[in-house]
Amino acid sequence: MKDKHIIDVLDNTSIASLSENELSEVQAHARECVSCREAYEAARLIGVVLQSRAQTKIEPSPFFQTRVMAAWREEQAVDSVPAMLRLWRSARAVVSSMAVTTAALAALTFMLPAQTTPVMDQRASMLSAESVIMGSDDQMTYEQVLSTIYEDDDEAR
Amino acid sequence: MDLARQAQDGDESAFAEIVRRYSPRVFSVASRFFRQRSLVEEAAQEVFLKAFTQLGSFEGRGSIEGWLTRIATNTCLNMIRGAKRRPELTVSDLTDDEAQWLDHVDGREQPSVENIVVATDLADRVLSVLSPEDQQALLMIDGEEASIREVAEATGWSESKVKVRAFRARKKVREAMEKLLNRGDK
Repeated sequence: MKDKHIIDVLDNTSIASLSENELSEVQAHARECVSCREAYEAARLIGVVLQSRAQTKIEPSPFFQTRVMAAWREEQAVDSVPAMLRLWRSARAVVSSMAVTTAALAALTFMLPAQTTPVMDQRASMLSAESVIMGSDDQMTYEQVLSTIYEDDDEAR
Repeated sequence: MDLARQAQDGDESAFAEIVRRYSPRVFSVASRFFRQRSLVEEAAQEVFLKAFTQLGSFEGRGSIEGWLTRIATNTCLNMIRGAKRRPELTVSDLTDDEAQWLDHVDGREQPSVENIVVATDLADRVLSVLSPEDQQALLMIDGEEASIREVAEATGWSESKVKVRAFRARKKVREAMEKLLNRGDK
């Protein structure tokens, strides 16, 4: 292994799990190969920090069991209520307000007297564009329109 | 198995006994993922509540402890997924204590409490370059010296998947650590 790079060995297994022979071979190579020495040093430190991290354990507090049991009872209580009842409880406010709104709209529709909508003046549709321009309610002939428009020009002439 | 069956039948004291007996194990698993007590407790509580609803699926072939370990691992992984990860470890991420620790650590002597805290912080920084799954595999194998098989049982992954994850994780954290060690040369 002395002449063989050890990076694959370091990535395949932790340094802590190498046998004594394997470790001395890895170290021997690392002493002579700069890139492998850096990799070895990094892998060694990783081993140290990971072991420190693994030692950091949080123990359950004395109240943990009580807390879990309280949460469990709460879930049990929720589960014992029928699903439709739970749905009704959560949706009650929305459904009630919708019912009130619908009732109010129905009352307004059926109980108030109907209002007549203004009928469109039939005559309006019969007016020509020219008469609208001229501001007259009476139907004008084409000649009248022309003579009214060009009246000024005639005077000018 | 009896405890599991009694709890499944609604026996509250049996469920309480499961919580009492196995909470150290569940906390130990959750501690791999979280360092804040509140998060560990939250995860552990979720594990037991989930376990209760899934008691029907526990067939008694393995131990309750193994079954809970798997639920705990999956619950913690779900909790941690989506959490913002640091994309890359940089020198500026190191505190003075961590930089000093890196310069002087020997690893052979018994570390002081302060050094364990610094090393643990550094471990979290280095591990943050990995996915939660890879962190889990590496921490169990290289930190707790668990076997490939134990990791496979705890996670539900195949042994070859565990090996691949561990290899990939080891390579990635080694490269991150090399960058930190070479920080003075650049």
